[in-house]
This record gives sequence, C-alpha cells and structure tokens, in this order.
Amino acid sequence: MAFQILLNIVLAFVYMFLKVSASPVTFLVGYFFGLLVIFIFRRFFQSRFYLLRIVAVINLFFLFIKELILSNIAVLRVILKPKLDIRPGIFALPTELKEDWEITVLANLITLTPGTLVIDVSDDNKILYVHAMDLADAEEAINSIKQTFEKAIMEVSK
Amino acid sequence: MKINDVILQTATKLVLFVIILFSIHLFFAGHYYPGGGFIGGLMTAAAIVLLLLAFDLKTVAKILPFDFKKVTAIGLLFAVGTGAGALLFDAPFLTHAFTDAYLPLLGKTSLHTAVLFDIGVYLVVIGVTLTIIQTIGESE
Repeated sequence: MAFQILLNIVLAFVYMFLKVSASPVTFLVGYFFGLLVIFIFRRFFQSRFYLLRIVAVINLFFLFIKELILSNIAVLRVILKPKLDIRPGIFALPTELKEDWEITVLANLITLTPGTLVIDVSDDNKILYVHAMDLADAEEAINSIKQTFEKAIMEVSK
Repeated sequence: MKINDVILQTATKLVLFVIILFSIHLFFAGHYYPGGGFIGGLMTAAAIVLLLLAFDLKTVAKILPFDFKKVTAIGLLFAVGTGAGALLFDAPFLTHAFTDAYLPLLGKTSLHTAVLFDIGVYLVVIGVTLTIIQTIGESE
C-alpha cells in the first residue's frame, strides 16, 4: 500500500516536471492520472488497490465517531436513571486479529462502545478481557463487537 | 537455461508507470504541441510491450484482462460517435465544437470535442499494436 501511494506521488511530480508547471492543480491532475494508471494496473501489485483501503479507513473512522456518540448517550442514561440496576462483570473476548496495531485499535474501539472497557490482553494476543457495565448480554456484546469492529479492522488490513 | 530477470522486472515496475504517464502527457499536448492520439497510443503500447518483455504473455494477460480487439472497436466507436454527434446539432459530419469552461479546481479549461476523437485514435492504436504483438507472440 505504501509503495502504491509513494508511486502515485512520484508520478504526480513526474507529471509536474513534464508540464513544466509547479502549481498544485498540476500536481492534482498528475495525481489523478497516476491513480488512473495504477487502477488499470492494479493486478500488477501484491496488495490490492490502495484507494479501497483508504475507503475502509474512512469507514472505520466514521464507525468510531458513531460509537463515541452512542456510548456517551448510553452512559448518560445510566447516570440519570434513579434506580441502579446494572450488573457489572468481566468477560473474555477471543479475537482473530493478529497484528499489534489491529489489537490496539480494536481495544480502543471497544473501550468506546457503550458500557464496555478493555482491561487486559492475554500474553498470546488472542483474548481481550473486557469489563462490561451490564453483563446480562455478554454473548450479544461479543457478537456485536465481532460483527462491527473486527470486520471493519479486517477490511483495512486485508 | 533459466535467467533471473529480477533487475529487468523491478526496473519495469517503476519505468512502466512513468512511460504511461508520459504517453498521457503527449496525448493531451496534442492540440498545442507535438503529440496527440497516435503517438500517445503508441507510447502506451510500447510500455505494455516493455511489460511483455520483462514478464510473459500469460502474466500480462492476467494483469490486463482486456481483449485488445474490443479496445480497437471501442476506439472506432468513439471516433464515429464524435463525428455522428455533430449531426445532432444540425452540423456536417465530423464538425467539432469547443468551449472555455470554468471547472471547479481546474480553473479555465478549454474543452474541445477533438479530444474525444483523439481518445478513439488512442484506443485504436493501443488495440491494433497489442493485437499484432500478442498474436505474433502466441504463435509457435
């Protein structure tokens, strides 16, 4: 991916030199044509076309914003509730993610979901220990985390 | 004997894109400077020939899964379509029109229908050249 972006930037500069123009517009036009050529030759590279991955990163970012807002509303509701009927607890969340950064991102995202908080990661990076504000639906929480966050992160690193 | 082409292949990976970008530059230079659809198409075809030299026919067919005969056909359609488009505006066949448009980001740009005709030429040249080369390359 880094190679494709670097190549794209180099191509944009080559285009600027060809046009003998140092304006940002020429850079953008060159970047666009470079992108087009890289897209046509996308099967040439080991990794997939890098724009798809950037789209995945933007998706993850919006997922993050959405969960941040939802989690704050959920916590607000618990605080304002007159009756304290929550059942806190800790559950283990097995994860399929391998890379260090993937686990870090997942842990941070879980911390931001409504009522869950990552306490510890097992030594072999396979299990995350999550503290839930309301343990009544731990199974459901695991599934929803797996469905949304893990999938979105895998989409980025695929 | 099997020869290791690693230097040729690695150099091709970078040079290929620069050549194609140069061909795009030549293509768009055509109206005011030397260049145009024919030489641009030939240059793009040359870049793909370089790819064919560094790798083999099968790899290139996998990287560019196009039927180049169809590329030729699409190019001809572009050329004929541009010519026939003039008839819609009550003008003789192949009459071209141009306008200066203010596009977002790009600023003042002169748009000319001759570019569409040139795209046709570009695609036909790529299609024909690569059909010839692939056909010769495939025959034993």
